Amino acid sequence: MEEFTVPIGPQHPALKEPISLRMTFDGEVVKHVDVRLGYNHRGMEKMAEERSYIQNLYLTERICGICSHSHTTCFAQGVEKLMEIEPPKRGLYIRTLVAEIERVHSHLLWLGVAGHEAGFDTFFMYTWRDREIVMDILESISGNRVHYAINTFGGVRRDISETQKQTILDSLSLLKQRTDYYANIGTTEPTFVARIKGVGKLSKELALSLCAVGPTVRASGIKSDVRKDDPYAVYNELPFEVCTADTGDVLGRVVVRVNELFECYKMIEFMLKNLPAGDIAVKAPRRVKENEVVSRYEAPRGENLHYIKSNGTDKPERLKVRAPTLANYPATVEMLKGCFIADIPLIFAAIDPCICCAERMVELVNDKNGEANIVSFSDLKKLASEQYKKCGNKPEPVSIAKQLEKIRRKS
Amino acid sequence: MNEEKIITTIKENLKDKVLEITNPSPRRIFLKVDKNNLCEAISTIKEKLGFTYLITITGLDKTDSFELLYHFADDTNVINIRVAISRENPIVSTVTGVIPGAILYEREIQDMFGIKVENIPDPRPLITPDDWPEGAYPLRKDWKYERPGETIPGGK
Repeated sequence: MEEFTVPIGPQHPALKEPISLRMTFDGEVVKHVDVRLGYNHRGMEKMAEERSYIQNLYLTERICGICSHSHTTCFAQGVEKLMEIEPPKRGLYIRTLVAEIERVHSHLLWLGVAGHEAGFDTFFMYTWRDREIVMDILESISGNRVHYAINTFGGVRRDISETQKQTILDSLSLLKQRTDYYANIGTTEPTFVARIKGVGKLSKELALSLCAVGPTVRASGIKSDVRKDDPYAVYNELPFEVCTADTGDVLGRVVVRVNELFECYKMIEFMLKNLPAGDIAVKAPRRVKENEVVSRYEAPRGENLHYIKSNGTDKPERLKVRAPTLANYPATVEMLKGCFIADIPLIFAAIDPCICCAERMVELVNDKNGEANIVSFSDLKKLASEQYKKCGNKPEPVSIAKQLEKIRRKS
Repeated sequence: MNEEKIITTIKENLKDKVLEITNPSPRRIFLKVDKNNLCEAISTIKEKLGFTYLITITGLDKTDSFELLYHFADDTNVINIRVAISRENPIVSTVTGVIPGAILYEREIQDMFGIKVENIPDPRPLITPDDWPEGAYPLRKDWKYERPGETIPGGK
């Protein structure tokens, strides 16, 4: 049988961010996947060496749009250790509160995307509508919908009032009700479950050996969560369980994320009801004496790691950022092997990839890729559905190149 | 397992191959070994202590030499294995034999620092583009980016 390679991307794979996946197919079946990165590099680690700590706080905020709070918290708590300052309890509570609300918005967003990739667009619109409630909460706390900029060294920048607390609690009860409904649909609705069950299998052993993180590894039955393992901020005071599933497929990843939503609501409620009184921040020095620190944070997608080395000036000697998506690529490659073309979007979306997180280092580059080689995601979807229509559930080797040509000519 | 127990187990198993071992803050252990003993150190902490999860590899340019930090985690602690690499002969052996998930980080180190990883299963550049100039390693301290001059077509 003839094998051929189809490059997917760098434009628009799964989540509208640039990454190049070069896949080798045997008919409909994926044989080999090659990941090529570098289309979204912004030289952030190099930039960080030339900026002061407080400037870097706002730089790290911009590593990612969805989990912006994760990176600032990870950076801030590392630098606070280097500065030898301890933020006040109230500041830490507000910081953690924003972190958990961010997790809710990220997981709701992902649920919608999973629905969309599975062809269940009603689900996508419902979850994204309710995500607006979360965005409104975040805006009321921080003044911003996306880059909250709530963190500062030594605490947070804005306090929460009694009325805000009440509004958040009110919205929370609505969100809980809606999430109950989604949990029911996402895990029991027969057509949706049939689409995601058994797709993108990742065994426990593979997940361990390939160093996968976050909901991806938890869906393979490994209880790994930095919030429990290496508690930072106030997580050692909060009531929550680490959610796992043992199916190791896309269904398992849905189950883990939905259950995590409930844990988030529990934590948010606890934090609002037990918010300690007092200051929200302490004063931080400008210069940091020579030292190094490894700071970890459980972002919605998995573990973040910031390694910060200081040299006695007001600028870091080195800032290393490891975002969860990069750690999940080797596992994704294994998940994709042996699957059908139509499952690629679903599997790739299931790790909740965030390319701008995974890439942050080099200057903008212009990779000379032949334009004719690039398959857009919508083309791929069309191709997948046509292929399935043609041969039912028994895929047979057809020349994909020919079909793509046809689709291109039509559009 | 607490930090003290980990430190004694490492010392018992690696003996004089441990160049330095410190525990500067709770749940953080820094272990320094020679680069030739790197794989042995990693398989020791993997088999004897269950540290299977490599978080990432950090490269550091200390102007006269390089340093690599391999961050490992189990369900509580983080072990950071530190190796020094000379600037004249920047070579380190691959750890993918012990930790298959290390491949992307090793390729990143090759791209960013020009530290050659020996016997790496996939030596192609990961991040830098195909036309990236030879010998330009962005995260080295002596590498500075200069924006090329802009010419506006039809401009003055």
